[in-house]
Amino acid sequence: MTDPNPTAAGALAVAEPVPETALAVAAPADPWARELWFDADVEKHPALRELRTAMPEVIVDVVRFRDETTIHVRREAYREVCRFLRDHPRISLNFLSDTTAVDMLRLRESPRFDVVALLYSLPNRVRLRIKAGCDDGESVPSLTPLWNGANWLEREIYDMFGIVFEGHPNLRRMLLPDDWDEGHPLRKDYPLRGWGEFPVSNAERTVGRVRTRWSGRGAS
Amino acid sequence: MSATTDRPGMLAPTTDTTPDFGVDSTDSVGSLSISNEVALSASERQMTLNMGPQHPSTHGVLRVVLKLDGEVITDCDPVIGYLHRGTEKLGEAHRYSQIVPWTDRTDYVAAPMNNLVCVMAIEKLVDVTAPELAQYWRVIMSELARIASHLVWLGTHALDIGALSMSLYCFRERELILDIFETFCGARLTTNMMEIGGFSRPIPENLPGMVRDFCRIFPERQAEYAALLSANPIWMARTKGVGVITPEAAISYSLTGACLRGSGINYDVRKAMPYLVYDRLDFEVPLGQHGDTYDRYLVRMEEMRQTIKIIEQCLDQCEGMDTPLMAYESPYVIPPHKGTMTTAEDMQRHFIWTIKGFNPPIGEAYAAVEGPKGELGVYIVSDGGPLPYRFRLRHPDFVNLSVLPHMAQGAMLADIVALIGTIDIVLGSVDR
Repeated sequence: MTDPNPTAAGALAVAEPVPETALAVAAPADPWARELWFDADVEKHPALRELRTAMPEVIVDVVRFRDETTIHVRREAYREVCRFLRDHPRISLNFLSDTTAVDMLRLRESPRFDVVALLYSLPNRVRLRIKAGCDDGESVPSLTPLWNGANWLEREIYDMFGIVFEGHPNLRRMLLPDDWDEGHPLRKDYPLRGWGEFPVSNAERTVGRVRTRWSGRGAS
Repeated sequence: MSATTDRPGMLAPTTDTTPDFGVDSTDSVGSLSISNEVALSASERQMTLNMGPQHPSTHGVLRVVLKLDGEVITDCDPVIGYLHRGTEKLGEAHRYSQIVPWTDRTDYVAAPMNNLVCVMAIEKLVDVTAPELAQYWRVIMSELARIASHLVWLGTHALDIGALSMSLYCFRERELILDIFETFCGARLTTNMMEIGGFSRPIPENLPGMVRDFCRIFPERQAEYAALLSANPIWMARTKGVGVITPEAAISYSLTGACLRGSGINYDVRKAMPYLVYDRLDFEVPLGQHGDTYDRYLVRMEEMRQTIKIIEQCLDQCEGMDTPLMAYESPYVIPPHKGTMTTAEDMQRHFIWTIKGFNPPIGEAYAAVEGPKGELGVYIVSDGGPLPYRFRLRHPDFVNLSVLPHMAQGAMLADIVALIGTIDIVLGSVDR
C-alpha cells in the first residue's frame, strides 16, 4: 500500500500513525493535505472538519476571506475550542499569535464585541482565527490557563474594551493607569479626543503652594 | 570615642558632634556580627524596589516594581503604558494611506519594518500585489532596518551589562544605515517609506552602491564586535545561564523572534510563511540550544550575518530589472504624481484620491512579517468605508515583555538589566 499521507503537514509534523479505520476511508484523498487548509471551499478545512465532528454545536459561523479562515464559536466554548485545537495531535494549533477584540457596535445589533484569537500551528505552518461574540457585561473564558502569553493580551483587551475574562489571574489595566475612570478607549462610543481635557490646572491644585527661599512671593 | 553599649555589636548613639573616625574604637571590626540579628519574617525581609520609569537601563519608560529578598528577585511586575499614544484608536480615525506614518512612531528603531507590515495588511485586504522590483527593495530596506535595530539592541544591551565601547561602535555603523534611509526617502528615523502598491518615487541612482558599500564594510566590523564579546569572560559570566527560557515556556508565553529561536524553536515567518520574495532567497535561521541570554545574543549576531547575505542576493537578483515600482493599474493605489502640476485632470484625480481615500471590500486581513524583535503583525477589519474599522498592531515586544516576570523570578538584582536587554524592547512599540 502506498503511503496515504505523503505531503501532510510539512517536515516538522509529529509522525502520528493514521489509524487503520481512517486509512480505509481516506485512501483516495489525503484528508490532511496542505492544500486543504487553503482550499476555497471552507468546509474542507481540516480543523473545521474535526471541530464539526467533535463539538458541532459550538460553531456559529465560518468565514473565509483572502486565504484566512475565521470560525465564530459560542462564547462559553471559546476556551474549550482552543484547547481542542491545541491538543489535537494533527491540527496542533499550539501557538497563540495574538488575541484582540473588535467592537462591532456599528456593524450589527448583537453581540456587541468579538473576541479574536489568532492561532498558529508550529508543525503545520497554518493560521486559524477563532472569534467569540460577547455582549457588554458578559464575560469570556480566559485563554491564560492554556497559554501564559494570553495574560497580558487579555489585560490589554480588558483595558481597551472593558471585556471581562473569566479565569484570568490578574485582570488589571495594562496600558492606562490603574485609576483611569473614563472608560475603555477602543470602544466605538468613546470619542477620539476623549471626554474632555485632563482636569489639571492651577486652579485645582490639590497641594498648596509652599513659600520657599527661591520663589520669593510665596502664596497659599 | 563611641563606646560600645552592653549590647554586643551595637554602637551607642553618639551625642558628640565631633567626627568619629573609629580609630579609638576598641572593637571596630567585629562589631557587625549577626549574632543579635532578629529573625525577620518573609514579608519583613522583603524589600520593594521601584526601577524606572526614568532609568537608563530600561530603554525608555518602562517601570519595573521588584520585590527583593536580599539580592534575589522574588517578584517582578512590569508597569507599562507611559508612552501610550493610542495608535490603534488613531488608526481608526485615518484613511488607509494615512495610517502608515503612525506606524513609524511605534517601533522607531526599525520604522521601515512597521511600514512594510502595515502596507502588506492593506494590500492583502484590497488584493494588490506590489511589482517585483518594489518587492526586492522592500526586502532590502526592511532587512537594513533589522540590522539597525539589532545594532541598537547590541549597543544598549552591552552598555547595560558594562561594555561601554560597544554602544559607540554600534551606533557608528547604524549611521551608515540611516544615511541609506535618508538617501532613499529623506528621513532617518520616521521613514514612512512604503506605500500601498509599491514605491511612488524612483530608487536613487547611487543607492545600490551605498547598500553594496555597507554590505562590504559591515561583516568585518561585526567580526570586531564578535571578537570583543563572544569569548569575553565578563560577557559570558553576565549572560551564560542568565534568563533561561525553556522551549515549552517560550511557546506558552507566545514569544517570537530571537527569544523563541534562542530556545531552539524553529519559527521564522520568513521561512514558515514566506512573503515578498523570501522564497527565492537563500538564508538560514539560527537556533539556540540553551535558551539563555548568551544564546539569544548569538542568534541575533548570526541573524545580522544572514541579513547581509539576503541583501546581497536581492541586489544581485534585481540588478537591471526595469519593472515599474508601483502597481498603478489598481484603483486602490495612489495615481501617479506625474502630470499633477501640468494637467487639470491628473491633479483632480490625485486630489480626489487623497481627500476621499478608497473603500476596500468588507472583510478582515492579518499580515505578519518577521520583524527584528519577532512576529510583527497588523490586523485590519474593514467595514467597507474609507477608514479602517479596527486597526490592530501586534508588536512582538509587548508579548515578549510578558515573559520578564517569569525570567526574573529567582534571578539576581544585577541581572534584571540583562534580562530587559535580552528581550529587546522598544517602549514605543510596547505601549503603542
